[in-house]
Order: sequence, then structure tokens, then C-alpha cells
Amino acid sequence: MASLHINQIEKKFAPSKTGQQAPFALGPIDLTIREGEFFSLLGPSGCGKTTLLKLVAGLTEADAGNILFGDNDLTKVAPEARRFSMIFQQPLLFPHMTIEENAAFGLKMQKIGKKERLLEARRMLAMTGLSGFEHRYPDELSGGQQQRVALARALVAKPRLLLMDEPFSALDPGLREEMRELLGTIQHELGVTVLFVTHDRQEAFELSDRIGIMGGGRLLQVGTPVDLYERPESTTVASFLGLKNIVEGTVHSRNFESHDGQISINTGQELADGRYCLIFRPETLMPATFGNQATVPSVQFTGKVSKLKFNQGTYVALVQAGDEMLECMVTRDQAENMEVGQLIKIFVKQSDLQFVEY
Amino acid sequence: MNTTISPLKIILFLLGFVIIGLPFIALLLSSLAAGWRWPDLIPASFSFRAWDYILFGSARTWQSIGTSLLIALIVTIVNVVLAVPAANALVRFQFRGKWLAEAILFAPIIIPPFVAVMGIHLTFLRFGLTETILGVVLAHLSPTLPYMVRAVVISYSTLSTERENQARMLGAGPLLRFYYIVLPHLLPGIAAGASLSILISLSQYLITFIIGSGQVVTLPILLFPFISGGDPAIGSAYSLMFAGMAILALLSLDVALKNYYKKKGVRSNGEGGE
Repeated sequence: MASLHINQIEKKFAPSKTGQQAPFALGPIDLTIREGEFFSLLGPSGCGKTTLLKLVAGLTEADAGNILFGDNDLTKVAPEARRFSMIFQQPLLFPHMTIEENAAFGLKMQKIGKKERLLEARRMLAMTGLSGFEHRYPDELSGGQQQRVALARALVAKPRLLLMDEPFSALDPGLREEMRELLGTIQHELGVTVLFVTHDRQEAFELSDRIGIMGGGRLLQVGTPVDLYERPESTTVASFLGLKNIVEGTVHSRNFESHDGQISINTGQELADGRYCLIFRPETLMPATFGNQATVPSVQFTGKVSKLKFNQGTYVALVQAGDEMLECMVTRDQAENMEVGQLIKIFVKQSDLQFVEY
Repeated sequence: MNTTISPLKIILFLLGFVIIGLPFIALLLSSLAAGWRWPDLIPASFSFRAWDYILFGSARTWQSIGTSLLIALIVTIVNVVLAVPAANALVRFQFRGKWLAEAILFAPIIIPPFVAVMGIHLTFLRFGLTETILGVVLAHLSPTLPYMVRAVVISYSTLSTERENQARMLGAGPLLRFYYIVLPHLLPGIAAGASLSILISLSQYLITFIIGSGQVVTLPILLFPFISGGDPAIGSAYSLMFAGMAILALLSLDVALKNYYKKKGVRSNGEGGE
């Protein structure tokens, strides 16, 4: 076992003749995926994440760069010889084989004896909760069950790396959650290395050890879920992660001022003068309605409550500060003491301020 | 279940009987007649002369059936070998002159075989292929291949490359992928094409006659002189033999296919069959 290294990989697609598809270029991308890690590629559709996955799988050939697994250069190795498994959006079970035969297919290709491979297949089917379905055919199973067979089939082959291309996007929300939990448990138990592609933030954050955010054919930022959320390096990453409170402004001698001058605060950190974007996470904005004074170095500004939204257990207050509309997560008590139109003071811990270059 | 028989069913049954069954009864009567003159509705006297002649009197009957079946079998196998890669290319690849390739492949359906066979005959004379089974097999390919290609093309166009990619990611190389994933999917199409190929090859008269020059004797070659004025009783008996041979060939194909699916454990849910 070893880690996967992607070095300077590049792929260009010419525009299609009919002009429906714009030219698209991926990379160059550098990435290392460690052994036993659950790594997600997260990005909007069309950002190149599936292309990158297919390059790793070998189903698409790279224009430049190489892919190493440990010390082996896999760039020119055929996909079937890479000993990776892949799960697609659709289960793609083989319709003329039983569930058991489907699950054992990978081992059959590795020329493992019938008895042994069926035993392995049954063990993995039991792990995915499909005991009793061994002799059924794919069309007798529901969509969620089929995708579970696909998961079992991919894992039975004992892949060095498991590639997953939005495997749960075709399932309905309840099933998706169930599959997510199952995948998390099994991945943990087997210690298999996973490269997971998704456009679903929640999915990526719940499952991943590390996440790579992609956009426009490039890898924008790589980090743990907490890292990415608390320290996005660009506004693109921040907005893709759902952070809406992005305030444009300028820093002058450690003081940030928004364009309209409504928010003027001490940066609390050494920043060169220039234009910046300030990102507030909604839960770091604390309304001062109770006179709760911060105990750590904080900054404050004033805003007007323009709307209160109840959001399953939490309240979101939309606070107007100058031209900016900021989302601010508040407790029920705080929300009950607030009125639309009221002017409130908002505190933010200095350590929670995230500045990114404009 | 409704046990009453609807009038529509009776009408349909009668219609089917008149169209399909009646000619066979006429053939049977004619083969057993010792002389059948107008205006008799049924022959005045019966004899087994014609059946005696074709079953026991002439060894050529069984030989010609063997030759017919052998040619049909080889033609069909060659068709499968040619049609699968051709269909693959036609469905999955875009290339220059694709329409031309398709036009040439399907031309024999539209162009009368006689036109092509005259040219083929001259060429085969030069290569010494006339009067040989090989020559007849090659000549039979032109009217049968289009149907095989057509059937396999339809099978191929419903096979997504994704499923093959999936097998690929599980470690299956090109041959294994073809055997385990592609072939099972193509099989119904291949069976449909094979039935047509067998039937068309069995019923070829003109092509066999010209290329085989009377030396390659298939059942139609034997049958033809009798129905074109020789001896209607023997002609009728041979016609029935011919129908029996064709039906048996199709039935054995069906049985073979069903056995295959049984071995693979697929229930007969419309996956198989022709």
C-alpha cells in the first residue's frame, strides 16, 4: 500500500463541432492522496472533478503529467491493470448475473477460485446489509440496494484505491444519508483509500478526512473540512462552501473598512495595505442584545435587523450593515429579544476574522 | 380466466388456418396423390410413391439436406464473426465515409442477388471457387450478412459503454469484457440474426445454382426441377421436407439458446428468445 501522487496532470478538451460544448482545460494539478485517507473532490458541475477522477482511473488519457501509486508510474497502465475500483453514479450491475456473481466479479477477473471468491462476496454483501439477496438478480432490487451491491462489488476486489463518482446523487435524500453512513463505517473498518467526487457539500464534509475544492478546471484549495470552512483562501471557495457574508473593503494600517464605511474594524493581524474581502461565518457573529461582553479580543459594528428566519432549531437574522446584508446565526432566546428594524451591535472575535485577497 | 371463446379468436384462428395450414394440407395431399386431376377436390387414389422415392429411393435427399445445413451453419458462423466487429464500429465510432460503409453493407437487401452473382461467378471462376462448398458459402454471405449486421447493430446500440467501463475498473481486459459483458448482451440480437441467416441461406436457389454449377447440391437445387414440371408429387414431398428442415434448424437454435440461459440461470423474462 502506498499513496497516490498526481503530478502536473493536464487535460484539454477541444470545443465540440456543434459548438454546444465550450473548450475546457483541466489543470495542471498536483495532489497527493495518502494511504487510508478519505479524500473528496468538491466543486460545482463542470469544474473538472469527474475528469480528474477519470484521469486517475485511466478511463481518460492525460495530455501531460503523470500519476504515481507509491513508486509505480501508472500513467500508461491500462485501467484494468491498475487495481483500482470505481463506483459510478449508476449502479451498473451486470443484469445477467446474480447479486453474488456480480459482487464476485472483480475476484473472478483476478482468477481467484470460485469457492473463495463467493465466500468473499457473501461476506461483503453481509457487511453492506444485503444478506439473503445473493441469488437474486439486479432487476429485483431497489435503486438503493443496487448501489449497495455496487459498493460491495467494488470492495470485494480489494482495490488499492476506491474511486467514487457522485455515487449517491441518483438516490433520494433519505437513502443518500443512509448510504453515506454505511460508506463511512465500512471505509473506517476496511481502511480503504477513497477518492470521492461530489457536488454535495454536506456529503463531502461528513465523510472526508480532506477535501479538495475545484473550480474552473483547477484545484483551488485542499484541506481538512474544518480548515476549509474556517480559513477559505478565496471568495470562490468561500461562496462554494455556502459562506454568504463576504464584505469587500480596504485595509489601511491594520484597519479594515468596508466600501461604504459602515464596518470599520481592527484586523488584529499583520496585513499589507490593499483591497481585501472579509469573510464572516454566520455563527461567529454575536448580537449584543443581552449586553454579553466578549472576553477575548473582539471587534464590533452596528447593523439593523431586517429579517428573522427560523431554520430547523436555529434562527438566522439578516442584519443590514450599510450596503451589506449579513447572515447571523442566533439562538432562540436572542431571536425572541430581537425585532425587525431594531439596531443591534454585533461582536466578532478577532481570531474569527478571515481576510482574503480581493 | 375467461373460458368462453370469443368470436374474434375463432375468426383469427380460421384465417390463420386458411393462410398457413391449408397450403400444407394441399402439399401433403399432392405428395400422396397417385394422380390428381381437375375437378377432383381430393386425389382419386393415394400412393406413397413420392415419399418412398425421396426417403429411400434416392440417397441424394439426405446428402442434400446435410449440404444445405452445413452451408447454412458455416454461413451463419462467418456472419457472426463479421457482423459483431462491424456493428461495434458502426455504433460506437464516427468515421469519414461511414454512410458509404453502411450503404455497401446493406446494399444486398435492395439490389437483386442475381445482379451481384453474375459478377461474383466470373471472379470465382478465375479463383477456382465455383463448384465448391466454399464458393457457395462465400456467395451466400452477401444476402445474409445485412440482416445479421442489422440485428447486432440494434443490440449494440442499447449497450452503454459505461457498463464496460465498470467491468474494466474491476480488472477485466478486452477479451474478458467481451465475453462476460458484451456477448451476453448481444446474444438475443445474434440469435435473431442467426435465424434469418439460416433461413435465407437454406432457401437460396439461384446463387447456389450459379456458383455451385449443379455440383453443390442443396435441397432447393434438388427440389426445383420437380416443381417446375417434373413430378408434382415428388416436388410436394420435397417442399414438405424443406419446411421440416427449416423448422428443425430454427428449433434447435432456440433450444440451444434456452439451454445457454438456463446454464446462466437467467429466467425467461423476455431477455432471450428471438
